[in-house]
Amino acid sequence: MATAHTTAPEPLAPVPFNLPTPFRSELANGLKVVVFEDARVPLVNYRLAFLRGDANDPKRATGLTSALASMLTEGTEKYSSRELAEKIERLGGSLMTNSSNDFTILSASALSIYSEEIPTLMAEVLFRSIFPETELDLYKRNALENLKFQRSQPSFLAHEQTARLLYGDHPYATVSPKAADYEKLDRESLVKFHETAFQPNNAVLIVVGDVERAKLMEQVAELFADWPRHEYTPPMFSKINGRERRTLTIVDRPASAQANIVLANTAIPRNHPDHFAATVMNQVLGAGASSRVFMNLREEKGYTYGAYTRLDSKKLAGDFEATAEVRTAVTAPALKEFFYELNRIRDEKVPEEELRDAKSFLTGVFPIRAETQEGLTSLVVSQVLYGLPEDYLQTYRENIDAISADDVQRVANKYIQPDKLAMVIVGDAKEILPQTKEFAEKVEIFDTDGNSKEI
Amino acid sequence: MSDRFKLPPLEIESYTLANGLRVVLNRDDAVPVVALAVYYDVGSRNERDGRTGFAHLFEHMMFQGSANVPKAGHFQHIMKAGGTMNGTTSSERTNYFETMPANQLPLALWLESDRMRSLAVTQENLDNQREAVKEEKRLRYDNQPYGQIFDLIAAMIYKNFANAHSTIGSMEHLDDASVEDVQEFFRIYYAPNNAVLVVSGSFEPETAREQIETYFGDIPSQPKPPAIDVSEPVEVADNYREWHDPLAPLPAFLLGWKIPPRRTHEYNALYLAGKLLYDGDSSRLYQRLVKGEESVVQLFGFTDERRGPSSIFVGAIPKPEQDLSRIREFIMHEVADIAANGPTAEEIEKLHNQLINDTVRMRQSSMNRAQAVAEHTLYDGDPTLINTELDELLAITPEQIRTAVEKYLNTENRSLLDVVPAGNGMKNEK
Repeated sequence: MATAHTTAPEPLAPVPFNLPTPFRSELANGLKVVVFEDARVPLVNYRLAFLRGDANDPKRATGLTSALASMLTEGTEKYSSRELAEKIERLGGSLMTNSSNDFTILSASALSIYSEEIPTLMAEVLFRSIFPETELDLYKRNALENLKFQRSQPSFLAHEQTARLLYGDHPYATVSPKAADYEKLDRESLVKFHETAFQPNNAVLIVVGDVERAKLMEQVAELFADWPRHEYTPPMFSKINGRERRTLTIVDRPASAQANIVLANTAIPRNHPDHFAATVMNQVLGAGASSRVFMNLREEKGYTYGAYTRLDSKKLAGDFEATAEVRTAVTAPALKEFFYELNRIRDEKVPEEELRDAKSFLTGVFPIRAETQEGLTSLVVSQVLYGLPEDYLQTYRENIDAISADDVQRVANKYIQPDKLAMVIVGDAKEILPQTKEFAEKVEIFDTDGNSKEI
Repeated sequence: MSDRFKLPPLEIESYTLANGLRVVLNRDDAVPVVALAVYYDVGSRNERDGRTGFAHLFEHMMFQGSANVPKAGHFQHIMKAGGTMNGTTSSERTNYFETMPANQLPLALWLESDRMRSLAVTQENLDNQREAVKEEKRLRYDNQPYGQIFDLIAAMIYKNFANAHSTIGSMEHLDDASVEDVQEFFRIYYAPNNAVLVVSGSFEPETAREQIETYFGDIPSQPKPPAIDVSEPVEVADNYREWHDPLAPLPAFLLGWKIPPRRTHEYNALYLAGKLLYDGDSSRLYQRLVKGEESVVQLFGFTDERRGPSSIFVGAIPKPEQDLSRIREFIMHEVADIAANGPTAEEIEKLHNQLINDTVRMRQSSMNRAQAVAEHTLYDGDPTLINTELDELLAITPEQIRTAVEKYLNTENRSLLDVVPAGNGMKNEK
């Protein structure tokens, strides 16, 4: 009996999990429609996504896209801001608009018994928002205060510097509008921007849930078929220049209890052919609690609560980041361990067993990610918005399985470049600087307002 | 609304092993995924003075290896099987959970049973995890603006030490912990008769029962852990305190009230009243303060659900030029209005739709189901309450909400924590 307990049991027979391909269609005005019928639970999720985001802000109007997104639900021809909130919340549902670097997404969800009410409200805010002056004024003042709050958080300060260092003149370098950007927002520019920003031929409506497709398509045609198509010219962005050398940037945040470390290289956009190899490499190196940097910096050394690496892949570019929040006194030893791991995955081929474990995590966890309707929706949304192959979700596991140790080493050498790292550390500069200056030829120091300073 | 919508009951099967381990099976084959939750009946409420933070430190130790699983082996076994896992500690319990591809249920059962039977506690692992916990405290509490306010107000609301101290605990107490202390803690609290095991998702019940017996059946039970007393007087411990936060960019305040235990009618009524006050853009306080008065940047509120006396909070980060006491008057004005007139018919309709929506969403995930079932089993002794908890909330009447608000919230018996930004090295007096 006791011996039965000494080794890990074998798995049972695998249970297949096959994701059907969704229904795809396009209206005459160019609006793409993707419907994924999922009757497991009586819910429905809607995403009306525009393939333009904060990066597409007009020149000298940083923040206009995010302001437009937030203001869509703040009053329409028919309903005030309050009436809209009451209407949607009385159904137990949600309706909101968000912008990210690449996309602007009007999201809604509700119990499926209310599935007809929701698209009507989406059309109302999309076409008939009036941007009341008082609501815009409130938005601006709250945004200014929230900016102060953001600047008190070390993660925001680290993110701001990292983006600046990696993306230079490209709009991805901006992680948030500045106070002056908010101050100059006015209703006129918002109304004008609203006329051209949302075009059916640059949009996808994704519906996932317990819906009757025929009925849904009828309603979609009724609400969105008359929406006129516009010419859309994708903007020209500045080129992202590769980095030449390693730099150290310290954001001085006195009274910090820790040092927040971010080490970053430019890497790949989301639809890059190296995506699968880089994902496996990142899994081995730092994506989880059994990955190398966590095992080293937390489990062996006890420097931190968590040390990770990640790939942040956007539509047009992306980066690789290694991060940890460590106690200030061990900032330099933590960097040393990071460099050891970054070099090791470049110099040594990953052992077969470690590679197999990383891949089986990525393939095994896939059904778990699709378990809830929100999880399934976000998988479908990334496939569609990043322009990934139509069978991306169906072939994801095969593509991960096909990655070899050579692939991992090749992408590690290509995208992890210790000599060109942007090293960003947020914390108490007078304690961090003496420990870390030897790690880079060039050191710069900023205060928490983003101004350069001496120490 | 509720008549248009009937939720099918979840399939619940429960039994107890000879050693006292309570087992609940909730089968649902919608997705080939299975979740396992092990809840131990130990949280910070079980800690005495001088030993705070032990329950949480112990949660870390449970990932440090057992007789047949090396240090960090737990993470590795789960991840290479394509699963996810974690553990958390609250005032009420310590929980461990895994979500796995359906065919990996035996592995998760084996891992949980191995550490329940034979945790390996070494000096080296203890030292290492103490450091990880200290970094966790710095990350979550000490290095975040407003990061400490919820622990501070709990100590103002509760008089009983068992309720008043924080889960993260004192780092000095953790430094005092010896390997023997940790081993003793394990023996007392990590016994099968002090735990609940829930399996939820896609599995064959007969096979699952056999495997549960194989892996857990021969773990010896232990004497019942020492009884605890979490009783409280009605009065809060401290009505007012000022906290100088070196990282806060703006002043803020937090109001807290002591309320009856979870799942009482009064608790449920106050939970619903809280939703009306602060949940969502159509809530009373959002409309009044963020919109109407335009005086507040961030508004938040929640209930802290406990088996004993529980609590409810409302907090705000006002705009810089604002008079904080005026904002609090507005909050108390809305509270007084509910105490006098109760919620409106529209508000009740909204609450009902939101409760149904929340329940349907929760039920989608095998892990959320496993956790909800585990709580009902551990706290209420009845796993099938998962099927009636929604009805319990829907049955709360507007009058019950009104009277609970009148009795517990519309009163001077509350705690107020004022947060004062104290940047540039200003320190609190201890």
